[in-house]
Amino acid sequence: MTTTIQQALFVAGVGIVGIFAFMTLFYLLIKALDRLLPYDEEKEEEE
Amino acid sequence: MGLAELMPAIAEMTWQHLVMITVGLILIYLAIAKNYEPTLLLPMGFGAILVNIPLSSAITQIDPGTGKAVEGVLNIFFDAGIATEVFPLLIFVAIGAMIDFSPLFRNPSLLLFGAAAQFGIFMTMVFAALLGYDIREAASIGIIGAADGPTSIVVASRFAPHMLGAISVAAYSYMALVPIIQPPVIKLLTTRKERLIRMSSDNNKRISKKALIAFPIVITIAAGIIAPSSLALIGFLMFGNLIRECGVLNKLSLAAQNELSSLVTILLGITIASTMTAERFVRLDTLIIIGLGLFAFVFDTFGGVIFAKFLNLFRKEGNKINPMVGACGISAFPMSARVIHQMGQKEDPYNYLLMPAISTNVGGQIGSVVAGGIILTLVPLLA
Repeated sequence: MTTTIQQALFVAGVGIVGIFAFMTLFYLLIKALDRLLPYDEEKEEEE
Repeated sequence: MGLAELMPAIAEMTWQHLVMITVGLILIYLAIAKNYEPTLLLPMGFGAILVNIPLSSAITQIDPGTGKAVEGVLNIFFDAGIATEVFPLLIFVAIGAMIDFSPLFRNPSLLLFGAAAQFGIFMTMVFAALLGYDIREAASIGIIGAADGPTSIVVASRFAPHMLGAISVAAYSYMALVPIIQPPVIKLLTTRKERLIRMSSDNNKRISKKALIAFPIVITIAAGIIAPSSLALIGFLMFGNLIRECGVLNKLSLAAQNELSSLVTILLGITIASTMTAERFVRLDTLIIIGLGLFAFVFDTFGGVIFAKFLNLFRKEGNKINPMVGACGISAFPMSARVIHQMGQKEDPYNYLLMPAISTNVGGQIGSVVAGGIILTLVPLLA
């Protein structure tokens, strides 16, 4: 196996894990924002 | 006085120039007659003609009298806008201003498909490495699978500028061909029973304005702390979105969505064409890159659909995901969502997959930028 293929496999492996980690983090951030800043009809209308 | 003196452009014309002029005409035809990504393909097609007429003053030429280089306007645009990444990053501001993230707040779990459907990028990168490309070229070819033109341009201009023309043409052409590429792959991977699955989603849930304003700021800080190299991509996208959501910059938001987007797209398209010269483009490599781009799109679709099927193994009956929705995890927005919704309606006219498909597709827009950021971070560590 050449160095380039090993490098590509490394980037692919870390990349796929990394992108799932990022998206999971973003998912948790959305959940947190939704909980910390819920929709409040009266306040939203005032603003 | 011979032909060479009278009409030097004709005298210097080669069959490779004629091939490239034909490619330019085909791109213009696809843009006008088929409406395939006209905002990009038309300037690129016209630019391909401009740069492939021998001695064109649109690109840098050597003055035979003085032996000095006379800079062409397209090369000046290239150095100022593409080599510096300014044009694609400005496009990100415009895209950010166009995206409404509220569908993601309604179905946040669908964000994960924005990760699964980037599978084709990494698969293609490994395949390109197997074909003998170095890691920088392989990564630039793989990123075509992001289905995201500006991300492809940023990565390719940094790692493989000599391939920029072919990669851009492949990325934008396949984005336009999503309705042709995705359905057969999805049908091959799913049963009719799976395609009939109905998905419930909280479409009427109201999202707080404060949460939508905080989202781009929080994402930028989080992404920046973890992967600073990704900040230019994610940061400009989120900056555009903040302009949209803040509520006090409506004029700027509209300008970003319309004037900025249009102007930079024109410059981007015609400037990319400066790399589509016969010497660079009429090569076997170009065909291989275009072939690998298709491979990347097919495996993106594969990744999204298979991930949905995998999740369904753990979900109860009545709460399953229609695997077709997984295919929307690519960045081609809103085309992919529309294609999936139409496929669902073809199977069952009362099945409305548009909202979950849109949520997934928005996730795909974030996913493709994150994938670009990860590649920009990892590849320089190795090469």
